[in-house]
Amino acid sequence: MVVALQGAAVAATEGRNWMRPLPAASPLIKTLRGTIALLPAYQVLPAHGDAPPAFTEVGFRYSRYSEDSIDAERVIFGSSQRYDIDISQFWLETPVGSNWAVALDIQNDYQTGASPWFVGAQVDGEPGVIMSGASIQDNRLEVGVTTRYFWADGNAGFTVSHSDEDDYESVSVGADLSWSNESKARTWSASVSTSNDRVSPTTGVIPVFIDRENLDTQSGYFGVTQILSRTALLRVGLNYTYSEGFLSDPYKLNDKRPSTHERTALSAGYRQFFIAADGSLQLDYRYYRDSWGADSHTLELGWAQNLAHGMVTPYFRYYSQREADFYSAPADRSATYYSDDYRLSTYGAYTLGVKWAINVGDWVFELQGERYKSSGSWGLHNSEAAPALVDFWRGTVGVIWRFD
Amino acid sequence: MTESYCRIERQFRIMGGPASIVIDDASLRSDGHEALFNSLHSRLNELESRYSRFQADSLINLINLRAGSGVPTEVDTETATLLNFAAELWLASEGLFDITSGALRKAWDFRRGGVASPARLAECLPKIGWDLVEYENDAIHLPLEGMEIDLGGIVKEYAVDCVAALIRKAGATSALVELAGDVAAVGNQANGQPWRVSIRDPDGGDALLTLSLCDTAAATSGNYARTINHAGRRLSHFLDPYTGWPVDGPISVTTLDRQCLTAGAIATVACLKPDSKAQHWLEDAGLPWLMMKSCGNLSGPLLRAASHL
Repeated sequence: MVVALQGAAVAATEGRNWMRPLPAASPLIKTLRGTIALLPAYQVLPAHGDAPPAFTEVGFRYSRYSEDSIDAERVIFGSSQRYDIDISQFWLETPVGSNWAVALDIQNDYQTGASPWFVGAQVDGEPGVIMSGASIQDNRLEVGVTTRYFWADGNAGFTVSHSDEDDYESVSVGADLSWSNESKARTWSASVSTSNDRVSPTTGVIPVFIDRENLDTQSGYFGVTQILSRTALLRVGLNYTYSEGFLSDPYKLNDKRPSTHERTALSAGYRQFFIAADGSLQLDYRYYRDSWGADSHTLELGWAQNLAHGMVTPYFRYYSQREADFYSAPADRSATYYSDDYRLSTYGAYTLGVKWAINVGDWVFELQGERYKSSGSWGLHNSEAAPALVDFWRGTVGVIWRFD
Repeated sequence: MTESYCRIERQFRIMGGPASIVIDDASLRSDGHEALFNSLHSRLNELESRYSRFQADSLINLINLRAGSGVPTEVDTETATLLNFAAELWLASEGLFDITSGALRKAWDFRRGGVASPARLAECLPKIGWDLVEYENDAIHLPLEGMEIDLGGIVKEYAVDCVAALIRKAGATSALVELAGDVAAVGNQANGQPWRVSIRDPDGGDALLTLSLCDTAAATSGNYARTINHAGRRLSHFLDPYTGWPVDGPISVTTLDRQCLTAGAIATVACLKPDSKAQHWLEDAGLPWLMMKSCGNLSGPLLRAASHL
């Protein structure tokens, strides 16, 4: 048996053919690859021209997000139950011809529970929460379509998406571009998007004071990924977002925010692969500040461990936020702008989680669980804890099928 | 896509077999081809002159000549790495893949045919065993006179990887490298289609299977070329280092990996095992494979995948 490689065999050959992605490396192959990894011949990265995915991918993922009940001592009135959200995602991505790919993304969120309506003073003078009552049920459906064109040094995508729920509708369009330098060691990325949202709150148990409002948002990102060595990679990026319109929360009694919001975020990520351990260290940092006086730091540390049939990634994330200028609890209604929304307060939070992906032939099964806890005293800035800071669990199961 | 490109192909002989390199030139300057092909040629010549046992002054022959002399031979990083790879494979294959088993060639002559005499085998067998080799601090010594090492089982596949890496380093994104049946595809063809490589029936005839390769290597090990007919049986040139006798194993095995060296190693060890054990080995290795069993039947995921298309 010979691999025939005369001129005719190189040209397109009629007959049965085979092309699948190579499976994940077995322990034996990893050991053998590890032995030779330092030879120069194995330090040259394949200089891939960008190409559409060679296979169609269909995926489904379900997440359950469940907020802990609010501390009963912090509740002045209403249910201490908070939000539960069922998130279902479906996606399909398929190549079209040799230079295009099309993707469809559908996400449905179904949420039930109660949220803080406003913060008042308890008998002891400490702030407490008046809850909305466990009556909120809402469903949001988002559908997005992306077309992407690939050429030798990069790819460009165009996305249209529409999101609809009882009281909120959003239409957005976006474009992104990614291109690499000649050696493929550096990749530049840029994207812009614009969205138009319409808020039309529904009156339920809690009263609302607006009928219909609009919000326009523009966002841009520019980033670069640099391969530092065969085992290390660095990514930095800058994101700027500008919103104008109705930015308050209509379901909060004491919430009046400026009508513009500028947000800037600087992010950096570093990946270091360790050959002997067959795993990589993942370090990510993000600095955020906005025109409302809030800023935050996010630091994430993860370890992605290759396994015989997949990968397991435990991670830890730390978050620290400084409050917006107009945040107070209870809110100061005499000010021009005011809010008692805990999301604008000073606090710190950590997340502990683990992701597990299992490869079985053309299938990938995903499992993920994470625990998020926050506290007013865990941040880099001291403050009195907002009475309604949230803790939650999130669990995810997913399945992905790739076929040609 | 209507972008124009130029296909440059060279065919030549190296390491005792035919070689072919095809480069679709989209990014190389037109005067860069010759320089690139020259550098590929000199790299292959360098590997051959260092590792061929047919070249009297090769490093391998120096090591072999010093067998039993007590004089160790210092080796460079590349050679040390290849020896480490061979050692790892020896361990994983429970001693079946053994670069010291070349001494058995003195008992068997696959060119002329004829079965080894038991006396000759008895003489060779004690000189076989990687575990006998004194190898530390990047210096190697074969402790018994008449011992030999032979990197022929891995150097050709390694050479394929070296050539593919040099082509990538030169900035080419589209090439196909073949050394006597071992192949590496660099990217797709310039027209965006994957490289098509046929695996042909050893007895001639049509392609058994056509592989579509992109940044993937395919290695084939088989005993189609050099065999001895004995009592109506076709004896393999793959020799069991424990018995000294040909292995009654697969006629041929093809595996795919991103590196030709690992693909070739897995295919070679499979050919050193009987059919059923070869299949277990291939399944454990987890690479896509095609095996022609000793009875001539084909099996393996490559075949199953192809039959669905």
